[in-house]
Amino acid sequence: MPINITKYLWKIYTEFTTRIYDIPPRMLAFLSFIILAAIPLMLDPIKLAFLIIANIYAILAASWDLLVGRTGQISLGHAIFYAIGAYSTALLYMYFKWPLWLTMPLSLLVGAISALVIGFPCLRVKGPYLALLTFALPFSVKGFLYYYSDIFGGDAGIPPIPKKLYEFFPMLSGDQKVIANYYLSLGLMAISAIILYKIATSKTGLTFVSILDDELASKACGINVTKYKLMSFTISGIFGSFAGMIYAHMVSRRVDPLFLDVSYSIIPIIATIIGGIGTIYGPIVGAYIYCFLDRYLFQYIIPYVCIPLGNYTVRIPLKDAEWRMLLFSAIVVLLIIKWPRGIARAIVEKLEDLEEPREIEEIEKEKKLQV
Amino acid sequence: MWQYVLIQGAISGVIYALIAIGFALIYGICGISNLTQGAYFMIGPFIYGVLKEVLPNYLPNLSSNTILMLALILSCLITAIIGSIVYRITLHPILGQEVNILILSICVCIIFQQLVLITMGPGKAFMFNIGELLPGMLAIGNVEVSRGKVFAAFFSILLFIALAIVIKGTKIGKAMRALSEDLEAAMLMGINVEKIFMLISGIAAFLASLGGIFYITTTNYNVSLWMWLQGLAWAFTVVVLGGLKSLKGALVGGLIFGYAETIIIKVLPKGGLIIQSFPFIITILVLLIRPKGIFGKRIEME
Repeated sequence: MPINITKYLWKIYTEFTTRIYDIPPRMLAFLSFIILAAIPLMLDPIKLAFLIIANIYAILAASWDLLVGRTGQISLGHAIFYAIGAYSTALLYMYFKWPLWLTMPLSLLVGAISALVIGFPCLRVKGPYLALLTFALPFSVKGFLYYYSDIFGGDAGIPPIPKKLYEFFPMLSGDQKVIANYYLSLGLMAISAIILYKIATSKTGLTFVSILDDELASKACGINVTKYKLMSFTISGIFGSFAGMIYAHMVSRRVDPLFLDVSYSIIPIIATIIGGIGTIYGPIVGAYIYCFLDRYLFQYIIPYVCIPLGNYTVRIPLKDAEWRMLLFSAIVVLLIIKWPRGIARAIVEKLEDLEEPREIEEIEKEKKLQV
Repeated sequence: MWQYVLIQGAISGVIYALIAIGFALIYGICGISNLTQGAYFMIGPFIYGVLKEVLPNYLPNLSSNTILMLALILSCLITAIIGSIVYRITLHPILGQEVNILILSICVCIIFQQLVLITMGPGKAFMFNIGELLPGMLAIGNVEVSRGKVFAAFFSILLFIALAIVIKGTKIGKAMRALSEDLEAAMLMGINVEKIFMLISGIAAFLASLGGIFYITTTNYNVSLWMWLQGLAWAFTVVVLGGLKSLKGALVGGLIFGYAETIIIKVLPKGGLIIQSFPFIITILVLLIRPKGIFGKRIEME
């Protein structure tokens, strides 16, 4: 009797999923945290850079998801908070030379206040108006950076902050600094992910979701919609600027108007679309996938792709930033058209669809047996 | 000076309205906020520049002005075709999903940006000289304005009138108005939604690319890759000023924007630098006073 392979695979899949679902999500998160924490033991410290960036982008993407996926207030200009975080720490350091433990909370405060100031007029409008407004925002702020170039340094920006986060541990040297950076960013990512998840699943988070589902109905239930929208915007802004602040502290790079680049508004979108919108943890996974593809796979493993076309071959250098950005934008477009609810959910749904024809077969077999 | 402001403001205002009107058209009729307009605003001038260089090789016995006009019309038509095809492939399957449409159209813009970067190379993509539209100056009263600007303004006004006639007078226009009022009822009456929406996307892409070409050829002659961001920011501002669904609003918003910009450049020291932030300031001011734009309450097509 031949073995029905699809049936066998289906059995494995169902067992696997039930096993996975048996494990509480907290356990799963903890396991993946341990795996992430163990990575420096296996990987070259130089190649660890992509994971540091992934940690930072994970915060950015999760904060974007709280605003867009959970509250339904579409922001296409999240780069603004990223830049506010980076600029505020760098400026505070440059002008006052304050120590790290003072500038870091202060820059978060700056992020919160600016989110309030931006959110108050912006959140008076909704839907496409809000999206358009927030999209124009980073671009408009760039003008201020150039106009007051004696404060913000104009095009050249502000010199990198010499004090780095790993200086909390003064005894480190060389590669250990990179590893310390990695663990610090991982820890900060875990903390902010937990805070964001707790907010999203708390009563406040439920209120956010009610605004996403039906603003009018939640207004009718006596919810102060404006207040909660502003709250969501501010929390999102705080964590967005937190990501920018960490980046400014980890990477020795000038804090320049490139922080307002549209790509920093696109990266959380890419991560969220890959991971699944509205789930806080999805964007974090998506950010890791994105950074793994963008900064590891296409840098070290598949630097270029050759496509044979008739007589000659087209060589696509995936190593170049422009090709990678093109590829990811195309992936997002395809994903939205094909599976608007994210890859993970799409795969699960597809696998569950496999079940139906099998059931019909079984029913037919049963019928035959009965006859 | 006020004469300069009066004429210059009107001309640039009309060009801004050109950029915004396609956006208002798409939002008003299809009900989607199609950000790919920004991409067409950028690739229009690029195609125009390339055609301007390439066309004389194939049509050697045409005069240079004819070549310019041919390149202008051809590039806008090519962009219009690209626009309607892109709409059909990407946005049509996800009609009705507001968040996804916004995200997807931004990604399409990025795709176009990267394609231009790859095909033109990093040197030309950031600085591509496409020359002046029409050389020479024209005196209007005491003010000297370049002929290109006057031509652009007149051409745009002609287009507005043509568009108004099409929407008000023809059968296709009637179908468009029907779709903007009630999509399902219009579908039941046998209107081919796909065709009309593709047509509208094409028209909007045409207008956006024409606006881009006019803007570049009358100001600094250099196309840059980042132009689409600028174009989108202007389109939003103008459209938010006038109200998202109103074509008349887009025109008036464009004029207000043009005047305000001309005055700011004239009055403020270093005004050219702050001009980038200026759309946002105006939008915020308008939204604080009238959250739905100046013409926002009345949902109308003209």
